Amino acid sequence: MITWIIIGVVVLVLLFIVVGGYNKLVALDQRADQSFADIDVQLKQRQDLIPNLVETVKGYATHERGTLDAVTQARAAAAGATSVNDKVQAENMLTGALGRLFAVSEAYPDLKANTNFQQLSAEISDIENKLAAARRFFNSAVSEFNAVRRQFPTVLFAGLFGFGSDKPFFDVGEGDRAAMNAAPPQVKF
Amino acid sequence: MGAVGLQTHIWANNTRSVILLVTFPILLIGMVYGVELILMGMGFLPNSGKGLGDDMALAASWLGATIPLALGIAAVWFAIAYFGSQAMVDALTGARKVERKTEPELYNLLENLAISRGLRTPTLRVIDNDSLNAFATGLHEGQYSITVTRGLVQQLTRDELEAVLAHELTHVINKDVRTMVIASIFAGIISVLAEMVFRALLYSGGRRRSNDDNKNAMPLILIGIAFAVIGFVLALVIRMMLSRTREYVADAGAVELTKNPDAMISALRKVEGRSSLKGPDELQQMFLDNQPDGVGLEGLFASHPPIEKRIEALKKFGGGRDPGPWSGEAAPSYAASYETSVPSAG
Repeated sequence: MITWIIIGVVVLVLLFIVVGGYNKLVALDQRADQSFADIDVQLKQRQDLIPNLVETVKGYATHERGTLDAVTQARAAAAGATSVNDKVQAENMLTGALGRLFAVSEAYPDLKANTNFQQLSAEISDIENKLAAARRFFNSAVSEFNAVRRQFPTVLFAGLFGFGSDKPFFDVGEGDRAAMNAAPPQVKF
Repeated sequence: MGAVGLQTHIWANNTRSVILLVTFPILLIGMVYGVELILMGMGFLPNSGKGLGDDMALAASWLGATIPLALGIAAVWFAIAYFGSQAMVDALTGARKVERKTEPELYNLLENLAISRGLRTPTLRVIDNDSLNAFATGLHEGQYSITVTRGLVQQLTRDELEAVLAHELTHVINKDVRTMVIASIFAGIISVLAEMVFRALLYSGGRRRSNDDNKNAMPLILIGIAFAVIGFVLALVIRMMLSRTREYVADAGAVELTKNPDAMISALRKVEGRSSLKGPDELQQMFLDNQPDGVGLEGLFASHPPIEKRIEALKKFGGGRDPGPWSGEAAPSYAASYETSVPSAG
């Protein structure tokens, strides 16, 4: 009788640990996914502004076809990306192309004086700041999920429930990452 | 398992809060037991005086009846205080309600945060006061209110103000006001019990001993006093510990809502040393920051953790960056920073 009670208690405790650990992982997994959706919202908003921006710049900077095409292509690639990795790559390309576009726009005083262009660049700058914040939050949510997943005793059963591997970070490229962590990116005009 | 990030930090503190809350009824039981021992020692209770161990066991056997009695009194007390506290808070702060029309930017910040969590926007109030502080009040839906000082609105940037509002909104989401009202009611009952014990001992000290028929009077009374003193001090300490854990959770919650640990840190840096605002204890616990006037036993009796430790937690779990103490230079208000976010040429 006593032995059965002891076995029952041990099984119950083990069950508690497994259920608790599993629920924790699910909550953290869900949280990371949700914060990726927050990044997605900002990315989508930025994409939506780009056709307008390209049209505006076209009117003034007629000699910058190459830069404009690069932005348009990067936008198309970003809009078409589905997997996290593709998204990250396409968005990094878009960020780079936009940076070059704003750099060349320096040479066109009339363009810089255009209110439409000023508004668009202000909006994009605001979105990129929010994007940086959302990305930082996503990365910390991912690192928390990964840390809890690898902790004892969760690590013993995480694989059984489909949490067998670490989540990928939103990487901005090895080199940029250190700089990004030191200071959030800022679009300068 | 220790905290490895923001969410686990919140979980750890929530668990801590539950443990701390559960200790209150236990403390109350200890107090009741102490009172029984003292009454026994003073010769008020029958069938005592056989031996110290027997007497203590006898007192323990009465707990079955006295604990429900004590908890019943606590429940009645709680009901009265629960309905009275909001009226008290409203009457004391003298805060002015603001609408979207009068403070559009401030109101929108709060409303956006509330919408993002699917909440009804709490009433927003402003106190015309130069100190930098904020607090949340309200015990149930429809009563929730967030108050900020005029100084806060003037000195903080838009992002910092958003972080502070998110901190207070987290207090609302977590129903911290209710938790702290419960804690202060328990602490109140325990302190009243302790006071009754000490008064009774003071008044009766000389007279009772003469017709005392309990030979264990001295040890019984001393043990009872020990229970009362320990219960009294612990109730105070635990109430403040609870308050401090809720502050950590609210800081972390602000980062969850705004995704911006830096703004929360720099807001705390600005508030540091400029938060003096007077109010009743129940209200001060809900302040954004509240530091005791004197330095107590390592802050054991402080309702808020030191700013340094809060920033430390935000850096460790939220990944924030600390700009260092604020020099207090003229900072652009949120309204001004709104304007300058439009890039200038060059």
